[in-house]
Amino acid sequence: MKVLKRLPIWAWAVVVLAALVGLLLLPGGHKTTFDVAGEFTLRPIVKLPKLGPIDLSITKPVVYLWITVGLCCVVAALIHRGLTTKPSHFQTVVEGLYELAHDGIAGAVMKGKTATSWFPYIGGAFFFVLLCNLAGLIPLPFGADNQLAFYAATGNINVTIILALFTVVFTHYAGIRRYGPVGYFRSWVVPAPPFLKQFIFLSDVISQIFRLVSLSVRLFANLLAGHFILAVFFAMLLVFQSYFIGVVLQVGSVAVFLFEIFVAVIQAFIFAILSAVYIGSAVEEEH
Amino acid sequence: MDVSAATIVAAATTTETGLRLMGAGLAAGLGVVGPGVGMGLLFGSAIESIARQPELRGEIRLNLFIGIGIIEALALYALVVALILLFVVK
Repeated sequence: MKVLKRLPIWAWAVVVLAALVGLLLLPGGHKTTFDVAGEFTLRPIVKLPKLGPIDLSITKPVVYLWITVGLCCVVAALIHRGLTTKPSHFQTVVEGLYELAHDGIAGAVMKGKTATSWFPYIGGAFFFVLLCNLAGLIPLPFGADNQLAFYAATGNINVTIILALFTVVFTHYAGIRRYGPVGYFRSWVVPAPPFLKQFIFLSDVISQIFRLVSLSVRLFANLLAGHFILAVFFAMLLVFQSYFIGVVLQVGSVAVFLFEIFVAVIQAFIFAILSAVYIGSAVEEEH
Repeated sequence: MDVSAATIVAAATTTETGLRLMGAGLAAGLGVVGPGVGMGLLFGSAIESIARQPELRGEIRLNLFIGIGIIEALALYALVVALILLFVVK
């Protein structure tokens, strides 16, 4: 954005000083232990009543999901406002991501008509999962004792199951819409000798059911493991309690953080391209 | 899972807890052997095919990333089992 280039040097010094003062005044830093697993237990921030079996109170993942939705709306509004033929940095990045989703994911895996009709879901899933993963790397004061902490909304199995449910439901919907309900399940049967045919059909059914599990657990476990490693890197300082290892751990924490950004982008890409493969294979002509 | 130096020693006092922790360690450790070998084979084939035909770099890179994502999921299933043993089983 152009306004960031115009700031003089003294403005950056003021920003750094304000950040240091803020870090000094924030709560925390007096404990000698760090409960790593406590970062992943969910405490309600605003307690709301239960609606039947569903607890409506606002917890950490809810806030992070709202932040992701806000980010999506902000990105869309900014892109809608300023499309020029000589693009700014922001427009180049978003155009690159759009081209990746349109040509690299939907266009590369599904055939022409399927790609254009299912691209809204595939592109939307890609952008939403990408922004959700990246928003998990923004520290917000929702940790224990209201300290700054990282938490990814997709690091919660509930969120990723819903995302994988979308893909699985759309797969079966696309197949049934194309072949009719009986014809779709008949398309799973391959011509084969009689005993082998039932076995292949059974293993097809099991692999279709397993797709929900694998899509959701892949995304969830990648982000959970990443944030766990991040929390353990920050906690190791309290175990060793030495300045030299503290310096080494700073470098290690930065390296793990950069790797987390890489994993976030890769996992969003994997989710989108596997969704495209599943939907495309349900609509294809012959087995 | 407090990670101060004093509480690490005091954590595993009963046989049950010790066996549970050992199971978690074995699950996370041995579960990464297979995906590790698989990823090594995948990268080897990818690099060899890029060396044979450098003009297919982009397509091979695309399939390489897809392969990384799928294989890494298997290693993380083992990690999820280890985490269940550590934090869910009492």
